[in-house]
Amino acid sequence: MGSTLKKVSQLLVSKKYLKARASKPGVNKVKHVNKGDACMYRITDKRDLSPIDYFVEVEAPHVAKAWKPGQFVVLMTHEKGERIPMSVYKNDNGRIGMFIRKLGKTSYELYYDFKPGDYIYSFVGPLGKALKIKNYGNVVFASDAVCGQAENYATLRAMKEAGNYTISIQSFENAANVYPEEFLAKPVADEYYLTTDDGSVGMKGHYLDVIKKLIEEDRVDIIFAGGKLGSLAKLAELTRPYGIPTYTTVRQIMVDGTGMCGSCRILYDGKVKFACRDGPMFDAHKVDWEDVLRRDKRFVELEKIAKERYLKSRGVI
Amino acid sequence: MPRRKLIKERVPTPERPVEERVKDFGEVNLGYTFELAQKEAERCIQCPADYAPCIKGCPVHINIPAFIAKIREGDMKGALRVIWNDNVLPAITGRVCPQEDQCEGACVVGKVGDAVDIGKLERFVADYTREKGIDEELFQEMVSNRPERKEKIAVVGAGPAGLTCAGELAKMGYKVTIFEALHKPGGVLMYGIPQFRLPKEILERELDRLKRLGVELRTDHVVGKTITIKELLQEYDAVFIGTGAGTPKLLNIPGILSMRIYSANEFLTRINLMKAYKFPEYDTPVAVGDKIVVIGAGNTAMDAARSALRLGAEVTIAYRRGREDMTARIEEIGHAEEEGVKFEFFLNPIEFISDEEGKVKAVKFMKMRPLEERDSRGKRKIEPTGETVTLEADTVIIAIGLEPNRIITEDCDLETNPDGTFVVDENLMTSTPGVFAGGDAIRGEATVILAMGDGKKAAKSIHEYIQSKKAS
Ligand SMILES: Cc1cc2nc3c(=O)[nH]c(=O)nc-3n(C[C@H](O)[C@H](O)[C@H](O)COP(=O)(O)OP(=O)(O)OC[C@H]3O[C@@H](n4cnc5c(N)ncnc54)[C@H](O)[C@@H]3O)c2cc1C
Ligand SMILES: Cc1cc2nc3c(=O)[nH]c(=O)nc-3n(C[C@H](O)[C@H](O)[C@H](O)COP(=O)(O)OP(=O)(O)OC[C@H]3O[C@@H](n4cnc5c(N)ncnc54)[C@H](O)[C@@H]3O)c2cc1C
Ligand code: FES
Repeated sequence: MGSTLKKVSQLLVSKKYLKARASKPGVNKVKHVNKGDACMYRITDKRDLSPIDYFVEVEAPHVAKAWKPGQFVVLMTHEKGERIPMSVYKNDNGRIGMFIRKLGKTSYELYYDFKPGDYIYSFVGPLGKALKIKNYGNVVFASDAVCGQAENYATLRAMKEAGNYTISIQSFENAANVYPEEFLAKPVADEYYLTTDDGSVGMKGHYLDVIKKLIEEDRVDIIFAGGKLGSLAKLAELTRPYGIPTYTTVRQIMVDGTGMCGSCRILYDGKVKFACRDGPMFDAHKVDWEDVLRRDKRFVELEKIAKERYLKSRGVI
Repeated sequence: MPRRKLIKERVPTPERPVEERVKDFGEVNLGYTFELAQKEAERCIQCPADYAPCIKGCPVHINIPAFIAKIREGDMKGALRVIWNDNVLPAITGRVCPQEDQCEGACVVGKVGDAVDIGKLERFVADYTREKGIDEELFQEMVSNRPERKEKIAVVGAGPAGLTCAGELAKMGYKVTIFEALHKPGGVLMYGIPQFRLPKEILERELDRLKRLGVELRTDHVVGKTITIKELLQEYDAVFIGTGAGTPKLLNIPGILSMRIYSANEFLTRINLMKAYKFPEYDTPVAVGDKIVVIGAGNTAMDAARSALRLGAEVTIAYRRGREDMTARIEEIGHAEEEGVKFEFFLNPIEFISDEEGKVKAVKFMKMRPLEERDSRGKRKIEPTGETVTLEADTVIIAIGLEPNRIITEDCDLETNPDGTFVVDENLMTSTPGVFAGGDAIRGEATVILAMGDGKKAAKSIHEYIQSKKAS
């Protein structure tokens, strides 16, 4: 058996089935019809943050009223859509603001097909456990990708109100990817660092470098972080020897987001936990990162099919 | 009355041929026609209501001989009226009840031949009256003179328990709001039981009726997160909790985090609720291979196995006990076998083995053997033989049971049992006055008919609670 054959046999949804599906013409041009007496959620604002990320704000008073830092939401754009989890940037005036990365079918679709005034099909939350907001002393929030950038602002805003000395570190790949000033966490940070991988703006480097320095200066009481899973795993190793409390968002593929399916399960302290119900923020030192990194890739082949099919229908590719 | 001759054999219900039905998710059993139903109804020997074992065997005590008599007379509205007296969801329970353990298990005719096909007759009454619009007539009669009441009731969870409770209260004139966590109502009927056993149109019909009764449905509301029980009590006069038992139990063995190992709930939710079988028309994916092992032998396991089969895979069910210990409905086990699901018995999983990418490639089992002794549920106990076997599998579905989702209890002080079920009194009231509960939320994994029965009973209790509070 050649290696190509093996590759093929590793393909997911039994091949003949997929083939039959993929050949069906016509992408779902879904009309955003009202969902009967159930709620529909109005988009109130949408703006570019960078070439890869955008900001979206949705009217959802039921969620905004109850949301606390650490918690997330799950949304569906339309009835045929996927339930996708999103971190929260702001919850003002009955609206939930989010930062979204154009990554696959759903995030692209929300970007291209929906504008302020349009309605999305489902919006549920808040989900997950809220963070304990209290005075820890020096609180660091570090982030290097979209969800983390949202949480950076949201968490430090609450931490600052609770009397902490807040240190925000936001890392981007390069100058082009840096968000507009008004969307950065600067206003809620007593001390602020911006880094880029190539040094095109701010410090050259990554939040891990800044944290190393802060630890050397012995100025850290607790660290929170979100963003790329690989960096979070490294952060856990960085702070472990110092015993610095480190809490990170463990992003896992979710379906319901309420503890009913186990899609988001992780190994935590040797036990199975559900990221949606028991997290999404966990003590990074107890997380089995290897499995977390792997399980994030569970559906890549299928996601690629969905994304390309959509982008083709839009004439983007 | 002249003595009738006992007809030992059942009038069979037509079913779609195997080779056709395994290619889609359409319903397998087509149900009786009017003529066939009348023929089957003839087989009932009409035990008197105070004796009839079938009535005793029915968890909600439907007057079965009476509705069967109405079928014989051709009075379908009458038949439906008899059923609705105790069961408001006959189109559903007729399809999913474990009749062989309930009414049909007790049927006198069954002692000498096949039991009367009570389930299929119940389903027939529901389907026929629906098709002819007779159910709507009866419905209108029942709700035409309902009083207006100003009290408001909150129902949490839109599964059979919650939907029934909401419907009954609305018929009494109360203002009811249902809070449902998911984006669609129906509970297990929507996300768990597949189309080929329970077409979703049947559920839609029930939901439409609730809407016309003025029941308000708020999806996307996770009680305990979006709004708490305490907050509900400030706005509503009473609360009913029907949140089911939706959290999957997973095996505590090495390799449980390997990829392509699903809980049955994840697998079925992707397929039924999110329609992953229509990917990429629908956005939610489900990745399965060609060789699937399903662990467990209840309804959930059968549903997962048969859904997997319909995605084009080869499916084996591995169960740690024996054939006769399987808990799924007999009809579904039969259908699964017909459709080509393989069964392996006395295999208890001890390890998942995965490839270098982390995808599961095999399951290692301990071979078990049965003992004479029986456990508290009457099942034969089993013990390991010490011998292991390994089954190749590129996808595994775990269907070993469900327990209540504890999210709702995170933010309230209702008393619960160690297994997470709510403690209730004989009126289904929880430890907090005005808060009632029923269905899987108090029983653990049970049945649709019991959930429906609880919803009905709780509605009555809530009515009494509100009236007595008003009186005092
Ligand atoms: C708690 C939590 C918070 C999140 N916060 C944000 C955020 O603030 N901004 C943001 O852009 N993204 C966030 N994500 C990730 C976001 O859910 C995914 O990017 C999104 O689902 C991608 O969908 P897609 O169809 O566009 O891409 P796809 O092509 O479907 O997927 C691309 C990648 O996204 C991830 N993903 C896919 N489906 C899911 C799913 N159902 N659940 C979780 N991850 C999935 C996988 O890593 C996948 O490889 C968060 C995820 C979690 C679990
Ligand atoms: C795959 C499968 C097959 C089955 N087959 C059969 C069968 O053939 N015959 C049979 O009799 N029984 C069967 N059962 C069992 C049966 O479905 C259940 O006993 C029944 O659905 C219980 O009804 P319920 O209303 O108590 O709960 P559920 O049907 O579980 O509904 C509970 C609802 O509450 C919602 N909810 C949960 N938590 C919250 C919250 N915090 N806030 C708001 N909403 C919430 C859930 O989303 C759900 O919609 C099966 C179960 C499964 C999983
Ligand atoms: S997403 Fe289903 S249990 Fe967490």
